[in-house]
Amino acid sequence: MRAVTKSFHAIAALVLSLSVCTGAMAQPTPGPNDEAQLYELAKKEGKVVWYESAPLEPMQAIALAFEKKYPGIKVEVLRIVGIQQYQRFMQEVQAKRHNVDVLHISDQPSMMTLIEEGHIADWKVPSHDRYPESFRLKTHAYANYSTDNAIIYNVNKVSPEEVKLLESDWKAVLDPRFKGRFAVTSMKCGACYAAIHMFMDPKYKDRYGLEFLKQVAAQKPAVYSEVLVGLDRVIAGEHDFTYWTWEGIALTKWQQGAPIRWLHPKPTPAFGNSWQAVSKYAPHPNAARLFQNWSMSEEGSLAIQQLYGSATTMSGLADQRSVTKESWYKPMADAYNVDFKRWDRDYHKDMDAWIKILRESR
Amino acid sequence: MAVYSHGTIAARDLAGAGAASAHAASVSRLLWRWGGEKVLWLVLAIGVILLAIVPLIYTIDAAFYRETRTGLAPDRSLTAVINVYFGAEYLGYLASALLLATIVTAASLVVGVAMALLMARTDLPAKNTLEMLIIMPLYLSPFTGLIAWITLGSEKTGFVNVAIRAVLGRVGLDPGPLINIWNYSGVAWVMFLFFCPFAYLFTVGNLRAMDSSLEEAARTSGATALQAITRVTIPMCTPAILASGILIFVLAAEMYTIPGIIGSTVGFTTLPWRIYQDATVFPVHAAHAAAGGTMLLWVTIFGVWLQRRITRRAERYVTVTGKGFRGRPLSLGYWKPLALVFIGLYILCADVLPFGALLLSSFMKYSAPMITADIFTTNHYVQIFTFQNIRDAIWNTIYLAVLAGAICVLVGLVISFMEVRRASFATRLIAFLGVLPVAVPGLVYGLGLIWAYIQTPLYGTVWVLLLAYVAKFLPYGILVSRSAIIQVHPDLEEGARMSGASGLTTLRAITMPLLKPTLIAILFFVMLMSIKELSASLLLYTQDSQVLSVLTWHFMDAGNYQFAAAIGMIQTLMMVALVLVTRWIFRVRLENALAKS
Repeated sequence: MRAVTKSFHAIAALVLSLSVCTGAMAQPTPGPNDEAQLYELAKKEGKVVWYESAPLEPMQAIALAFEKKYPGIKVEVLRIVGIQQYQRFMQEVQAKRHNVDVLHISDQPSMMTLIEEGHIADWKVPSHDRYPESFRLKTHAYANYSTDNAIIYNVNKVSPEEVKLLESDWKAVLDPRFKGRFAVTSMKCGACYAAIHMFMDPKYKDRYGLEFLKQVAAQKPAVYSEVLVGLDRVIAGEHDFTYWTWEGIALTKWQQGAPIRWLHPKPTPAFGNSWQAVSKYAPHPNAARLFQNWSMSEEGSLAIQQLYGSATTMSGLADQRSVTKESWYKPMADAYNVDFKRWDRDYHKDMDAWIKILRESR
Repeated sequence: MAVYSHGTIAARDLAGAGAASAHAASVSRLLWRWGGEKVLWLVLAIGVILLAIVPLIYTIDAAFYRETRTGLAPDRSLTAVINVYFGAEYLGYLASALLLATIVTAASLVVGVAMALLMARTDLPAKNTLEMLIIMPLYLSPFTGLIAWITLGSEKTGFVNVAIRAVLGRVGLDPGPLINIWNYSGVAWVMFLFFCPFAYLFTVGNLRAMDSSLEEAARTSGATALQAITRVTIPMCTPAILASGILIFVLAAEMYTIPGIIGSTVGFTTLPWRIYQDATVFPVHAAHAAAGGTMLLWVTIFGVWLQRRITRRAERYVTVTGKGFRGRPLSLGYWKPLALVFIGLYILCADVLPFGALLLSSFMKYSAPMITADIFTTNHYVQIFTFQNIRDAIWNTIYLAVLAGAICVLVGLVISFMEVRRASFATRLIAFLGVLPVAVPGLVYGLGLIWAYIQTPLYGTVWVLLLAYVAKFLPYGILVSRSAIIQVHPDLEEGARMSGASGLTTLRAITMPLLKPTLIAILFFVMLMSIKELSASLLLYTQDSQVLSVLTWHFMDAGNYQFAAAIGMIQTLMMVALVLVTRWIFRVRLENALAKS
């Protein structure tokens, strides 16, 4: 009966929201800096639907932080990961079933495609100028946190001397003492590919390239099809370290008390992995824009730092994460900026080559 | 109807009223000529076609398009079909899946049938308790079972190896790791534990119904107990064993989670895992995923067809020899302790270890080789009951399970009843079409469901999940109720009809009460399957229709295995509670009802 009631409510809410939407759409959307007016209209809409791709728990906490700041607007969080979010959005667009207000897609080329095809609202957030060019796409989408590759190690398994060695160079993993002690992934994901993208950079052809990847595989690492299963096994002590994952996930586990730390060999691939934008067809257009403004504001960025644990990309904002106060923690010193054009062109080819190398090394 | 009931008919002109009355009369004449049961069947037949076949057509159709990096292009292409059906790569993946399914099926049958024999044909003690424990793995989803076995069976840090090392270390022994889940045997082992209850359930009923005088005759002719079992009992039960083997083979061949997570770590890929990757990993190969799905469809259609043939033979067999059966059990004598150890070992591996590991994990802050005070937490359970999402998901899961179970029971019964008692090309065709969705991996079928329902008002509501569950699990309703209806002699129904009862009244007053255990078994089974369903739910859920299996997956996918373990425990408790409540309401034991069906 509850389901029937819920459904009745859903139909009633649909009718209501349609009328509200029609009302809202009839008025011009206020400018990005007119927060008071935007909030007033957003309150009338009552909610914002957010498709996001990061872990659910911290993103719900971030949504709650927004709800606390803007009472009367509920954030409905729906986690849809990877390419499925793009597919779900496009299926809804084609069927004219507009459900989502704000997208958060973990793939820069997919977001760029949506912008070029006209599915994303042109919405320049008030903090636009504080985002470096590599973390914004026109005036449509922003990446408010960065993903930087890191070697995550179990503190009970790796000695301080070995930490120094690993920190010195990506190639240090080839040292015979590390043979069979680490985990890699064959998973296809942005953060999994970023380091390969750097190793395959023509300017590092002589230093790394395919030959280096073959040497890594010859070290007989444990290969996991799911990167986080590999990390979980490092935390448990099955392996000593992961040969590149990313800092954000390490920090989440470290905050839970897991016996891990991480280091950034130089140069460190760092890039905007998750891009947030307002749908052009947002059923709650004002609430969506208010949420986007807040997400990209200092307050939203601090919420990302504290609740999600990733380093934020907004310039002029100090890194206030608790880990920065730890004596062992060293922030990334030499960022390697990914080339998204080459990324888009070579992703499939490079990943297939890496998977083939891993398979042949068994 | 509101117009009529409010008496405004008087305002209508006489001609209009005349036309309406003529129309009503013609409908009632048609109803009278057809009978209520046929009208009901027709409505359900249309429902089955819309529900089960339309998404299937969308799925098959998707294989014939050119691909873009994110989906399908508008123009047609045979590339995906040619690659999948004639390329060595995909045929290799299919061969891997079939080989794995063969190994899992063989192992499940050997152990499952052996346990069924011991439970049905011997004087083993404490059968009720043992039976409950044997089917316990049914209450665990493959995904949460996998979490449990990763924590149990890892080489250096698995609970089992750590415990053995700790015990033997005290006497100065270091045996090294005894088990390692991260290899081919590990995949087969976890899948075997998961499928073994199926082998048990679908053979134990048949064994119980067997006349023990045949075995006694063998014994009096000088055969040992073992010879009586291997030369008399098992051959008599062959059709049931083969039928359950085919079911396990089909389900194992389309499983992607366990072979995917563990298998790819040791370098082998099965077709369902490749389909999962084609459908979900950028760049997407949507047409290849659909074509791969159709490849499994043929394998499974063949399996279902074979199962129907075997079941038909089995029914004939039982009808001829099943009368006057006596259930005197074989005395195990000195073998009794060994038999108990055998079943005890299975219960240890299939219940105690995985459920224990899951319970321990759910109280841990992060993965570790053992639980200690500093990593103990109750926080996951506290969060479960404070997260709005989770509370909604629990309710949605319960409603969907109960509704899907009830619908599958009723629709399956009517469709099978018409197929068996009113046999015609049309009734047989609808029964066949209704079974087809079982043959498509949930992930691929889910894509078809999205394409079919996205333009309807149902999309985005909890009802679209209900449709998905009904379509996916209706085959169980049809297949199981069909075999039960055949076992009821039609004389009983004909007697009722001769006494003036309509077809529907006969179905309600005679057939349904006679089939009560089977119908409740279907209700149980569909409820359990609905609670565990993930593939289609993952594609169809929205913010208003979250379910527990999807939330568990989200926490697993984000690497929060301890939280996922806590939700997995809640999911298991929910299944056990549903079973107990239903048992209390209907006064039927699940394990007996399932076995009888």
